[in-house]
Order: sequence, then structure tokens, then C-alpha cells
Amino acid sequence: MATIKIIDPVTRLEGHLKIQVKVDTVSGVQQVVDAWATGTLFRGFEKILVNRPPEDAQHITQRICGVCPVPHGMAAVIALDSAFGVTVPENARIMRNLVLGANFIQSHILHFYHLALPDFIDGPSMPPWQPSWGADKRINSATTSNLVNNYVTALEKTRKAQEMGALFGGRLPHPPTYHPGGFTTTPRTERITKFKVYLDELLSFIQNVYIKDVELLAGVYNDYLSLGRGLGNLLAFGVFDQDSNGASKLLKKGCVTNGSTTVQSVDINKITEQVTYSWYTDSTNNLKPSSGSTVPTYPKTNAYSWLKAPRYDGVPYEVGSLARMWINGDYTHGISIMDRHLARADEALKIGLAMRNWVDQLKVGQPVFTRYSVPSIAASYGLTEAPRGALGHWLQINNGKISNYQVITPTCWNASPRDSNGTPGPIEKALIGIPVGNIDQPVEVLRVIHSFDPCLSCAVHVMRPSKGAKIFTLGHYHSEEEVHAHREHKKGFPNGT
Amino acid sequence: MEITRRDFLKFCGVSAAALGLSTTDLGRLEQLLANPNGPTVIWLQGSSCTGCSISFLNRISTSAPTTVADVLINSINLAYHPNLMALAGQDAVEKAKEAYTNGNYILAVEGGIPTKFSGNACWGWNYNGKDITFNQVVKDLSKRAANILCVGTCAAWGGIPAASPNPTGVKGVKAVTRKKTINIAGCPPHPDWIVWTVVQILLGNSVQLDSYGRPTALFSRTVHSLCPRRETEEAETFGIDYRCLEELGCRGPETMSNCPTQLWNGGANWCCDANAPCLGCTNPSFPFTQLYSQESDD
Repeated sequence: MATIKIIDPVTRLEGHLKIQVKVDTVSGVQQVVDAWATGTLFRGFEKILVNRPPEDAQHITQRICGVCPVPHGMAAVIALDSAFGVTVPENARIMRNLVLGANFIQSHILHFYHLALPDFIDGPSMPPWQPSWGADKRINSATTSNLVNNYVTALEKTRKAQEMGALFGGRLPHPPTYHPGGFTTTPRTERITKFKVYLDELLSFIQNVYIKDVELLAGVYNDYLSLGRGLGNLLAFGVFDQDSNGASKLLKKGCVTNGSTTVQSVDINKITEQVTYSWYTDSTNNLKPSSGSTVPTYPKTNAYSWLKAPRYDGVPYEVGSLARMWINGDYTHGISIMDRHLARADEALKIGLAMRNWVDQLKVGQPVFTRYSVPSIAASYGLTEAPRGALGHWLQINNGKISNYQVITPTCWNASPRDSNGTPGPIEKALIGIPVGNIDQPVEVLRVIHSFDPCLSCAVHVMRPSKGAKIFTLGHYHSEEEVHAHREHKKGFPNGT
Repeated sequence: MEITRRDFLKFCGVSAAALGLSTTDLGRLEQLLANPNGPTVIWLQGSSCTGCSISFLNRISTSAPTTVADVLINSINLAYHPNLMALAGQDAVEKAKEAYTNGNYILAVEGGIPTKFSGNACWGWNYNGKDITFNQVVKDLSKRAANILCVGTCAAWGGIPAASPNPTGVKGVKAVTRKKTINIAGCPPHPDWIVWTVVQILLGNSVQLDSYGRPTALFSRTVHSLCPRRETEEAETFGIDYRCLEELGCRGPETMSNCPTQLWNGGANWCCDANAPCLGCTNPSFPFTQLYSQESDD
């Protein structure tokens, strides 16, 4: 007998998410057999931006998310630079990267310790960490105590990552220094010196604590190396320009299907947004973001989310650290709950090490800003990456004002509802087949969701189960030795199920 | 947790002047914090970006002198916070309902309250299978709150999501509940502004508010009047150090905040010292007009 379980709020993520899962026993194992993800907040940023001066965009769009504001600032200024036909000075390109890098490091550490880890350990014995769901806690008390200490240390490290970013960003969150034409801050010597001190401390934490804790978790919960694979389709827009025209990026643009290691190029004209199951009017279904439209309608038959369903070439794609690191060839060990955590930690180190080189490339006294004029008419876009995945802004200017603005956030990809074909989004798909030990404390469901690091500013609801739920069998368990091999010797696991 | 109430007091001692605390206040605070049954806080997030919570977290540290926020978490009973709490779903909601039953809690609201679509542009949570709008949650929980804190400009007056054309009919907490609120303005607010306000409540001090509901102790002087760049040569383009930013659209002259002396992120920087014009994020009208002051259009 199938049971419907609603989780709203899904806590320890950014924004409002409601998840509904259908749980049934298949082959003697109680597991999720279907899932629905609902974004439960709509703010209408795209409408708020219309008729504003173009230079408001990088500030307004940062307020889409206080956890990852910087990528929105970056996407907006890339779009505006393009619309204005301006090339930014090298100092500006580098400082944009450094503040964004600081945001990645802050976000990745925050995500692992403060958002995801409480699914696996019991926190301090007081609210808001207790009471908690006690189900499936496998780590012994001494190690748990160590991890709790690292949770507290990580609070300090995320704060310091923000302080590091603020040296050039002005203040965090919502740094005011991203501007079309460049950057407002100058790279003063004392700021460069302070930045390096912060960065070295954070690199030490990433190498000596963060990565080791993720590996420890992946060893104890090694069955999670074969759970929550989802679709296996991975997409990245690329990020961290290493030259003035963005031809070289630290993390490349590309896509793969079904866990392939053959990376294909991305044609952004293949991106559309579907709204069959979203609270937007059906006449706006399957539009390209360059000509997109946001017309809310509530209630609407069959709809269950404020998120649209972005699709690439008509198919859902997972975005995030694992997608980026896979496409870049840096992490191809597997696609699973633990692989997402492992790839995220590896990525924090990769970005931090690159930042150490970039900060040495700043030139004191050289320009940071190029003058421009705002055109009467223009259309452009800016693609980049947020800590949690590919981010795109599409912009139109008319009479010198914003006439249309469309944003596709990473979590729109990952937490999307079903599309017009009825195909579930990546998180929905990854939930199917997850074993649930105790339906009153479905911590396994939270582990799947948190592995994607969702950042909604909206929630996930499940309205009702669909008919004819598909049944997936469980992945098999692996030994700790296999986990080691998985990481160290790149011995690929069989994919997911 | 390694953070103790002693660390909190140590911090308050170090920065008593900055926090506006007298020796008597500190003595009373020590007594209050010795009580293990600290005041209960329910922290709700509505039409928000979580930036206010992230800003609050920026004060968290384990090393001396201990920062304020983590100590507060240890010194108060944070019954409900969507980003931090271990529980999820209805089990989490029950913690907020328990606090409501006990009454006399601090209700901290982050984000505005959508009123269009019958409130369905933002749900607070699901209870017994029913989706409860954020509007309803705030109305209900405000009834038995001892104090209501609007953390950030959105909760205070609508802020970002209330900008034209206000697609979801977002309002501030006072406009919806008709109750007195303490408005800790800012997008985001400085963590020390939040802490200062909570400390006043812990001490039982009445917080004097301006006509917009902002504590006058924090928001009585303009950014411009405190700015070290005041009456320096004006910058005519971005990226120039040590010059006044008025020509570039700085809203410092019309914006109440102590940013120039408080500084941000542990003293690392602040907007104008990064050559970025003040956008006026503590103003009730933020961001209803264009962000850079229109003076700059000339």
C-alpha cells in the first residue's frame, strides 16, 4: 500500500521547497516510487526589472539569492558588457573572479557542514539542532563530536570567506562593486595582502578538514555512492574567464548525456522553458529565454510549482559542481549523492588554488573601469555558474531601459517540475528508488535533495501522486575499499541503479 | 558547541560602547544569560532571498573574541529557523507551534508578505496536508509574540519583491498584522544591528523608533554625514579611490545608516570605500526608484 509523505518545509536549503514522495515496498524494500518537487515562492524579478535603467540589473538580480548573490551580479554584468559593447580591464576581470570565487568557497563549506551534514550526524544538544530525526545515524560518537566541532569551525571559515570577498566586493552578501564596464574597487596593496592571508587559511581548511570529512562521510555511507543518480545528463555554462574574451575558462562549458564522458558543445538556442506543470500561462510554454515571458496564473489545472521546467534540446539536465567537474574532466568517478559532495569539495580546492594565482595578477594603479554609453536598443545574454549550477540572464534594452529580462537559475534546472512530456526534473528523478527506513523520519529523502544544494527562493510541493508510478530497483552496496578505489584509482562504478 | 555565555559577555564587554550598553546593562545581561531558559525566537522566511540570515551568520566564529551570532544561538532558544534546524516538514512546524503555545517569544521575520493570488505566491508550510500561506503564518504567530522584529527592508516595508509592479502584492509585516514592529532595515542589515536589537530586548530596554519603525540608535544619521569622503573632490567615473560619489548617484545624503563607522564584514570594507555609491538599502523606498540617484543623470 503506497503512502504519500509531504515534506514542507524542506529545511536547510535556501528558499521554500516542498517535496511530496510516494513510498511503497518493492522487492521487500520500502522506497520512494514517485516524487514531486514544488517551488512555493514566486516574486516576479523579471517583471520588476522591466522599465528600470540597465545598471540596476546587477544589483536587483543579486537579491534573487542571498546565499549566491555574486553569480547573479556576474551574469548581469556579462550581459550588460555585451549589450554596451565594452571590454573590461584585466583588473576588473580578475576581481570579478576573486569575489565570485570567495562566494563559491563560502557556499560550498556552508552547504556541506551546515545544510547537508545534519542529515548524517546529531548536532549539538539544543535547538535548532535538537530534536532531530534519529534515523540511520551510523557515525560513532567520538567521530560525531569531531564533526560537530568542524561544523562550528566551518561557521568561522564561511564568515572569513565573506570577509575575503568583501575586500574587493565592498560587503557581502550583495556586493555593490560589480558594474558594467568593469568593477568599482581598486586593487590596493593592503587589500591584496589581506586577501592572500584569508585565502591561505581557507585553502588549509579545505585540504585538511573539508575534503577529509567528505571522504569520511562517503566511506561510512558508501551505499550513497550508488544512490540518487537521477538522469545522468549534466550541463555547465562555464565560469571564471582566464583571458579578456573569455575563451579560456577555469571550468569549461559543455554537456553530457546519460553519464557519458564524451563532452558535447552547448547551443544556447536549444534551451527552452516549459510551464505545463507550472503556475504560468500555457501560452508561454516552451519559449526560448531570449524571448521568454513570465505570466503567473494561479490556480491552474495540473500545475504544482512556481518553478518553470528548463529543458535543453527538450530534455532535463542536472547542473552543479559535479556537472562542472565532470565536463572539465576533473571528476568522472560516478554520479550519486556522495559523488556530488565529493566533486563539490574537490571544486572548492581547484577554485581556491586558481585564486591564489589570480590575485598575483592584479596590477596596483592600473584601471578597473572602462567608460561606455547605454545604447537605445540592444539584446544580449550572460552565462556563468553559481555554486549550485549553470546560471543565465537574458536581456533586452529598448529606449535605454530594460524591456525584457529572463533568468534561469540552477535550481530551476535541478528542482524543475515535470515537463510537457511528463518527464520529471532531476531531483524528482533522483528521488525515485531511494530506500526509506522510517517513513515518519524520511531522512534519506533529505539526503537526496541536499546533495543537489538547492537554492530555491521558492518551495517544492507535491500535489498528488501520478498514476502508474514507475518502479526502480535499488543500487547495490559497496565496501569502504571500493569507495577508496572510486576516489583514488578512478575505477568507475556502474552507474546508479 | 564551544561557545559559552561567558564568551558572549566578553564580546559585549569589549564592544559595550558600540552596543550602547552601560555597566548596569552588562550586569543585568549577565543575569539574564545565566538563565538556561533563554527567550524563544521563531525566525520565519517569506518573500526573501535569505541574505539577511546569511548576513547574520557572518558574525559567527569560534575564536576569541567570540563573535555575537553563534553566542546568541546558544543563549536564546532558536525554536524555528528554516536554514539551520535539523528537523524538516511537519516535525519542524511543530516546534514553531510549541513556541506559539508557550507565548512570549520574539518573532523575527525575514522577507515580505505576498498578498496576491490569495497569498499563494508564498507558502509558509504544510500542516496536516494543507498548504498554509506565509501571510497566514505571520498573522497567526504575531498574535502571541512579545516582540516582532523585521529583519531587513523586505519584512519592514516590502523591499525588493514590492518594487513596481509589485507582481505578488508584497507588503511589510506591520501593514499585514497592524502590530508594532522593530524594523532593522538594510538589504541586508548589518549583523551588529540585529544583535544590538536583540540585546535591547533581552535587557528589557524600550527601543526608541523613528517614524518608520527603525531604532533611532542605529538609524539617526545619514551615511553622507558620517562619510570620510564628504566634501572631497567628486568622482566623475567609477573606479576612482577616495573621492565623493555623489555625481555617480550616491544616496548617502538621504540614507540613514552608520555604515561609514560600523564598516562591514569584520571591518573589511563598506560600499563607498569600495567606490560603490550607496544604494540607500535602509530606506523605506528601497528599491522603488532607480538605484543610482537621478542626480547622476545630469
